[in-house]
Amino acid sequence: MPIVTIDDIQVEVEQGATILDAANKAGIWIPTLCHHPAVAPQATCRVCMVELDRGEWKQLVTACNYPVRRDITVSVSGENAVKARRGVMEFMLARAPDNEQLKAIARRMGVDSTPWPTVTVAQRDCILCGLCTAVCDEVLGLAAIGFSGRGVDRAVAAPFRQIPENCIACGACAAVCPVGTIQLRFHEDTDEIEISPFKARVKLRKCQQCGARIVSEPAVAEALKKVNVDWEKIRNLAKLCPKCRRIRAAESFVTAATETPTEK
Amino acid sequence: MIAIANKHLAGPEQLEQLREELRGERNSSDKCVRVCIGPGCAAKGAGKLHDLFVQAVEETGADVKIEVKGVGCHGLCERGPIVIVQPGDIFYQRVEEPDVAEIFRETVLGGRVVERLLYDDPDTGAKVVRADEIPFYKAQKRVALAQNGVIDPGSIEDYISAGGYSALAKALTLEPEEIIRQVEQSGLRGRGGGGFVTGRKWRFCRQAAGDPKYVICNGDEGDPGAFMDRAIMEGNPHSVLEGMIIGAYAIGSSQGYIYVRNEYPLSVERLKRAIEQVRTLGLLGEDVLGSGFSFDIRINRGGGAFVCGESTALMASLEGRPGEPRAKYVHTVEHGLRDKPTNLNNVETWANVPVIIDRGSDWFASIGTEKSKGTKVFCLVGKIVNTGLVEVPMGITLRQIIQDIGGGVKDGKTFKAVQTGGPSGGCIPAEHLDVQVDFDELTQLGSMMGSGGMIVMDEDTCMVNVAKYFLNFLQDESCGKCTPCREGIAQMLAIVDRITHGEGRKGDVEKLEQLAELLEGTALCALGKTAANPVLSTIRYFRDEYDAHINEKRCPAKQCRGLFRYKIDPDECKACGICLKECPADAISGEKKVPHVIDQEKCTLCGTCWDKCPFSAVLKV
Repeated sequence: MPIVTIDDIQVEVEQGATILDAANKAGIWIPTLCHHPAVAPQATCRVCMVELDRGEWKQLVTACNYPVRRDITVSVSGENAVKARRGVMEFMLARAPDNEQLKAIARRMGVDSTPWPTVTVAQRDCILCGLCTAVCDEVLGLAAIGFSGRGVDRAVAAPFRQIPENCIACGACAAVCPVGTIQLRFHEDTDEIEISPFKARVKLRKCQQCGARIVSEPAVAEALKKVNVDWEKIRNLAKLCPKCRRIRAAESFVTAATETPTEK
Repeated sequence: MIAIANKHLAGPEQLEQLREELRGERNSSDKCVRVCIGPGCAAKGAGKLHDLFVQAVEETGADVKIEVKGVGCHGLCERGPIVIVQPGDIFYQRVEEPDVAEIFRETVLGGRVVERLLYDDPDTGAKVVRADEIPFYKAQKRVALAQNGVIDPGSIEDYISAGGYSALAKALTLEPEEIIRQVEQSGLRGRGGGGFVTGRKWRFCRQAAGDPKYVICNGDEGDPGAFMDRAIMEGNPHSVLEGMIIGAYAIGSSQGYIYVRNEYPLSVERLKRAIEQVRTLGLLGEDVLGSGFSFDIRINRGGGAFVCGESTALMASLEGRPGEPRAKYVHTVEHGLRDKPTNLNNVETWANVPVIIDRGSDWFASIGTEKSKGTKVFCLVGKIVNTGLVEVPMGITLRQIIQDIGGGVKDGKTFKAVQTGGPSGGCIPAEHLDVQVDFDELTQLGSMMGSGGMIVMDEDTCMVNVAKYFLNFLQDESCGKCTPCREGIAQMLAIVDRITHGEGRKGDVEKLEQLAELLEGTALCALGKTAANPVLSTIRYFRDEYDAHINEKRCPAKQCRGLFRYKIDPDECKACGICLKECPADAISGEKKVPHVIDQEKCTLCGTCWDKCPFSAVLKV
């Protein structure tokens, strides 16, 4: 197995593991935004730049997708790597200057502000890392949202920048968004959940027992389709909120305990 | 005519036999009219000229065999449409429809030269009859373009008579490794601009594990002012196909793709026809020329994105996904199209392959410099006398290309810079004109070989504005996938735009340099990594122009609106009143016989007076 020397710490990793894997193993923090274990590495945000020392020359590479195939030496804290990551973060801060979560990550990197003005504003607060579109496509298999437009006009949107038709409001995009740009909004009046900023709205399932809002209806349908279980009990359980489900389960334990004949 | 429709060549002997038969049909005293229908000439109506010649032949009834051919680009687009009459290689330029009858009567039938349509040497005024006597052609060396302008691109018979597919027949008798060795030894490097050693790329792909393997021809030419690949695809499509079939055999590929930009419908048409012809003859498809090797080619059209010229973006596009690049930490020769080993070369690279196999790697390597072998096709455009397509041996100086071949700067103006390498390249100033054209030399100057665009700029060109033009282009063409390219180019453009509007600040140039360094280090693909080159090279050689814009709010080339003023020269003004009438701001006053004056307070700097003055009395100051 190849050995990665990363800021003077040596770690052994599997053939084909990434520099980021090696850094995690070595306990070295490399900031990432577009990286998520659920989807294939994209290397679009470029905030994980590190410097690869090839002996004769040095090269900046993205840690999240650079595959380790032989022994390599990598610098995370070196001047060039820090400068590169800083530079990329400053670009992002210029794009989304009001994003608190982004600012927090920047501060952790030692970047307090950006020298650049905001010049690209196709989508407010979005850093276009692509995690939301990747998770919707690769994990959910829906691709309800994708990229629209090119270059500075690039934006995350449904086809033709309309309201996504096949969004099930599962909230995966909001869950992976590294800067909190995608939000779930609940509409009490209509019992709907909305994925902002895509404006997709779907009905929420209500707990049969207590009436609490649980999860979006199409998300349940999609989940049941995926687990491929035609089991009445599961279907019935899915009609309850977690709390009521626990109560029902507890009740069933009690019933089972009292009904089951004890063996002597 | 020998019909090839039902012929199927089962072996190299049959190909040779066909070649003999085709050659037997022609002889050197045959009369032939070759009308250039390349992009430049076609735009000037050469298609109609061709039809008129055909019609003239039909109507004459003369008992002579006269062939009329539409041929690919001759290169001297400036003087198009071009018509060449055989025998005698008589070169007619700027031919118009009414000239057809005269050429036909005098030259084709009568064997006399029509003097007024000949090329006249601008220096000596002497009339030149043959193309090879024209200075434009003298310093050129045509290898990839050798048959361009000679053969009919729609006719495989023409290509075969000229020796076509003999390299393929020869290659099929060689071991694949031997072909790769020859291509490597020839020193051929990628003509798309990267300059990677072609033979080595082939070897990596051959050695890579995976099946099937793919070969791709990159015909997504998109650099501003570049039309080399188009000229080859439209002028001699078979040379590209032959190169690809040889390459596929050497690499062990069974499927090839030609990715042509959508703006080149004629290239698609010509290639399509050529593919049908080679399939019919058994030079493509199952069991190529009876060798047992099978290979087929498909044409795919691009969707208009410049970035699809980047290999990984091109492959993504071929797969039907958005044309966006991916990291090349794992090379495409190992994991390319559909994750299979893929060898991608540019059109011109492929077109060089048959010549190398045919004439030998030593012959090819004898042309050029130590590390850049062979020739390179350039599109000479901009403020140059002879706009056109040229092919020169590597090692020729930029001065020779611009002065000897290009005829120097247009309208007697002073040369300022030449831009090579497209949006990834840079501007080379006059003091470096004696540098040799070579992959490494041009890179050292902060530019690059690129795919072959060569834009000549004169004294009236503002270099800050040139940088702005390329940044604008790149901002439009950046896919936006990675942060540095999307945001960095936009930041640079914002600064340069400000400078050209006279709002530059101290430290702007340093900011541009800082952004350039960041882009080079962190962008995902070559488009972003090299995007700053036009800015960096103009800063490197024309820093004074940036400083003039920023510090003095002055555009030395007088191109940036607002950074110069218009003034009427009282000695030249004839008081005709045209500017006075045309001025939309009523800023010009004057009377008959009294030189007019511009009121600088009212003037909006629109430039109408400068445009309209018939006496060039309006000056930019």
